[in-house]
Amino acid sequence: MHVYEEKLLKALKSNGVRKLDELGALGMGTDSILWAIENLLKSGAIKVVKSKSYVATITQEGSKDLTLFPEEELVKSLIKSGKKADISSIKNNIGLIWAKKNGWVEVNGNSVSLTQAGEEIASGAKAYWQKDILKLISKDDKAVSKLAESGDEQLDNLVRRKLLSIKEKETISDVSITETGLKMLESEVSDEGKISSMSREVISGRKWETQRFKGYDVDAAVEPIYPARMHPMHELVNQIRKIWLNMGFVEVSGPIIESAFWNFDALFSPQDHPTRDMHDTFFLSNPSQIDIDDITLLNKVRSMHKKGWGEPWREGLAKKALLRTHTTSVSARYIKKFANEIESSYPIKLFSIGKAFRNESVDYKHLAELHMTDGIIIGNNLTLANLMYILERFYSKLGIKPMFKPSYFPFVEPGVEAYYYDERRKTYIELCGGGIIRREIAKAMGTSKTILAWGMGIDRMMFNLLDIDSLADLYKNDVDWLRNRGNLKI
Amino acid sequence: MLMAVVTFSLKDLKDSGISIEALKDLVPRIGMEIEAASEDEVAIDITPNRPDLLDFTGLIRALNFFSEKKVPKENGYTLKDSKAVEISVTKNVSKIRPYIVGLVARKVDLSGDKLKYLINFTEKLSDTYGRKRMKFSTGIYNLDLIKGNLTYDAAKDKPFAPLGFQNEMGFSEILEKHPKGIAYGSIVKDSTGNIPFLSDSEKVLSMIPITNSESTKVTNATKNLFIDVTGTSLASVQQVANLLACSLLDSGAEVSQCMIKYDDSEMLSPRLEAKEVQVKGTKISKTLGIAIDLGDAITMANKMGHSAARYGNTLLVKVPPYRLDVLNDQDIIEDLAIGYGYDNISPLPIMGFSDGLPEELREFTDSVALFMVGSGFSEALNTYLTNERINSESMRRAYKKGETVGIAYAKTENITMLRTDILPCLLKSLSYSAHEKMPQKLFEIGSVFSMDNSKPLESHHLAFVSEHSKADFSEAKSTVLAILNNLGIRDLEIKKFDDKAFIEGRCAQVASKGRHVAVFGELHPAVLSNFNLEEPTIGAEVTLIDRITYGA
Repeated sequence: MHVYEEKLLKALKSNGVRKLDELGALGMGTDSILWAIENLLKSGAIKVVKSKSYVATITQEGSKDLTLFPEEELVKSLIKSGKKADISSIKNNIGLIWAKKNGWVEVNGNSVSLTQAGEEIASGAKAYWQKDILKLISKDDKAVSKLAESGDEQLDNLVRRKLLSIKEKETISDVSITETGLKMLESEVSDEGKISSMSREVISGRKWETQRFKGYDVDAAVEPIYPARMHPMHELVNQIRKIWLNMGFVEVSGPIIESAFWNFDALFSPQDHPTRDMHDTFFLSNPSQIDIDDITLLNKVRSMHKKGWGEPWREGLAKKALLRTHTTSVSARYIKKFANEIESSYPIKLFSIGKAFRNESVDYKHLAELHMTDGIIIGNNLTLANLMYILERFYSKLGIKPMFKPSYFPFVEPGVEAYYYDERRKTYIELCGGGIIRREIAKAMGTSKTILAWGMGIDRMMFNLLDIDSLADLYKNDVDWLRNRGNLKI
Repeated sequence: MLMAVVTFSLKDLKDSGISIEALKDLVPRIGMEIEAASEDEVAIDITPNRPDLLDFTGLIRALNFFSEKKVPKENGYTLKDSKAVEISVTKNVSKIRPYIVGLVARKVDLSGDKLKYLINFTEKLSDTYGRKRMKFSTGIYNLDLIKGNLTYDAAKDKPFAPLGFQNEMGFSEILEKHPKGIAYGSIVKDSTGNIPFLSDSEKVLSMIPITNSESTKVTNATKNLFIDVTGTSLASVQQVANLLACSLLDSGAEVSQCMIKYDDSEMLSPRLEAKEVQVKGTKISKTLGIAIDLGDAITMANKMGHSAARYGNTLLVKVPPYRLDVLNDQDIIEDLAIGYGYDNISPLPIMGFSDGLPEELREFTDSVALFMVGSGFSEALNTYLTNERINSESMRRAYKKGETVGIAYAKTENITMLRTDILPCLLKSLSYSAHEKMPQKLFEIGSVFSMDNSKPLESHHLAFVSEHSKADFSEAKSTVLAILNNLGIRDLEIKKFDDKAFIEGRCAQVASKGRHVAVFGELHPAVLSNFNLEEPTIGAEVTLIDRITYGA
């Protein structure tokens, strides 16, 4: 038996029935007493008598009305306008309804006139009963229970007017010990003289050598604790990083605020391509432009576009500032950076992981901001079969067996899409897109090497890894969810 | 990637020899996707490189080649007699929409769904490949109702009855009232106020690229067609005319050329010349990683609609005129891979050693995150996109317009800028969980953005908040000091700081060697109310890296 339970039982035994509010004198907090009562009730050691009471809260609206009700305001203003007014001139509708109900005004056609009763209220000769009740409740907690028990009709009015909210509460009034309780107490007597809680004295005073410890109810309820955790997306990002790192890839990153040049033009995306519309991409108002300093590169990209798409290429469009729409912009920058390394450093295997942005209409599976991971391998004699191998290895570590089909992205040829059959959702789901970077792009970036490239969004993996209904829930950081979410199912 | 979805009737497909099962198997193999299928219709996603598949005839053609029911003809497509219609082009169009080509098709069968498919094809084509009619658009006319030769001209206003209307309207009225006028009018509005149009010897046939006339409307019974393609790029309009001509020829019609007459030159259209591409045999296996001999490669090419021949170690491929996407050998090699079947390619490991290496920046922020979790703070991740109300106003802070990174246009109205601080994001997160057990402690590490000398600046911040009835300045200070000690930042100068987000006199700034490191304190009750928080809350914003520089 817990020390609190014992204390309570003893008190009940010596005094018989006790009022709950007297139990405070036992030197225990209310929570502890209630906890002990709950436990003892379960073991049948005590009996309680419960009684109903009411708790009232005056709403924000109600506390305003404490000074002046709208109907009071109305009759006061009628006094000023000669006890009469045109109905259309009255804006105080709530006041009018109640004044009429209370018999303070009469309405004849379009005219509103003050009655004798109304005048008495306006002059303060008589008090307003609704206000009286509200005032009473605001000063005395117990008043509401008395009024509610007597079925006061004005109380209902105040609740209906949303000036007051009333909650019914069941409280324990009387507590008494049962036969079982008395027996439990008797058997507990043998605990007399045992050590109840550990302390320095118990240890260094070697009390434990002469005294025994009192046992606890190991089944008693305890307070939950919530250890701090990493965000699940951080866990997934690190999981994915670990896979790439284990496969021998070097991690790189690049700017989020990017030029259209690196996000689109360097990747052979035609300048009139619909994704370059402001309805799909976040262009910036500040800064609106980002300069491309490498003029040689600029001219190479210009001629790649002219030759490939047969359209004039505008530098102004390439300079537009935007939020990168994929992490492939990072890959583009590194193809350029590692275009001409000493031969023995190839194959160069790189990956990046980070945010990308899409001007989307947000719904459960579309966010304006998502996490992506991109990879490239720069080297000699790299093949589509090699790319499939890399993707197969990567996904196998996530427990997924990918399949491959042709697909189209302007910067690769051949293009490939990895997908898999999702047993849970009974459907094929796209995993990632990739391919061999077009020779034109490699040439513009200054390399004759072959480049395998791929990219994928990772947020949607969360639908299977965590039980969520909407991607937006991932970034709300609801504390309850952060504390109680399950582990990633990898 | 933007795709166009086309819908075909299952009955029509079946009549052409393609069952739904075959379709479900073949469509992904050629790189497309079945978007949805009902009992009588199927919707297919077509990637933007293959506009020829937006067409019923084109899809059937591709599937028949792929399943080897048909083999592409070596000598390609044959046109009937030339110069069926003459189109004179005036100078008035040169600055608005300079190019027009046309074709004539006879003995066309437009019964059943065929008219619908043709119209859908040209509409989708103009919408996607033609960039919503900006780059090019097409018009289809009943040839038998056209009188004499044609003129492509531009004028301010001309009366004619547009499609769907019985009464004559002027160009300006159409721009205002006709649905297509409202949708596409802006494409041709220029300073002169002239609108391009096509007319025969008697009447206006179409207002370009808005609408055709009711008088030359095509119906299921129409047998002979004239089709025009107008646009801003000569190459595009010629390609599209080729694409349409192939489709009509493959559906059994006869196609003849038109003569286009400019002031100083003449041109015939369509031309239907096959493009020849040479592919080296070694290049095929070196790109795909499969052993394939040139004899097999010919079969693969045929499956993709190309006729091909072997010349020594080289594959000579004739690309049909409807394939607008083939630029060079790389595109052919992809086609060979598709013909071979992606699922027949065995994945192969890459030779050569490489050492995995994590990025320093990420290792650093990860170690800080671990420290924060160990200190009892749960990690939050918020979006970088935000707005002034949350980022600044709710925090009682003010940023000048030029100091923050602004978004030009967002579909969602609550996105206007990139965040300058993490603290407001964390307070917003706390607002979702007022009912949860206290204390509530969150931290976040991530990027924040500002402008520095009109150049964008990305920094890394760490912010934390702690909400509970006893949260106070000293808790904030203890935590900040523990973090800075862990980061190895020494020589701290802690000064009273004026930041309206915090209670006056309960906010401090930490600097080290003259550089700003952190700001922390008790959050102001007005700020807490703005985020609907009812318990005392402390917060801090620590600068981890004040300027991120990337390696490339």
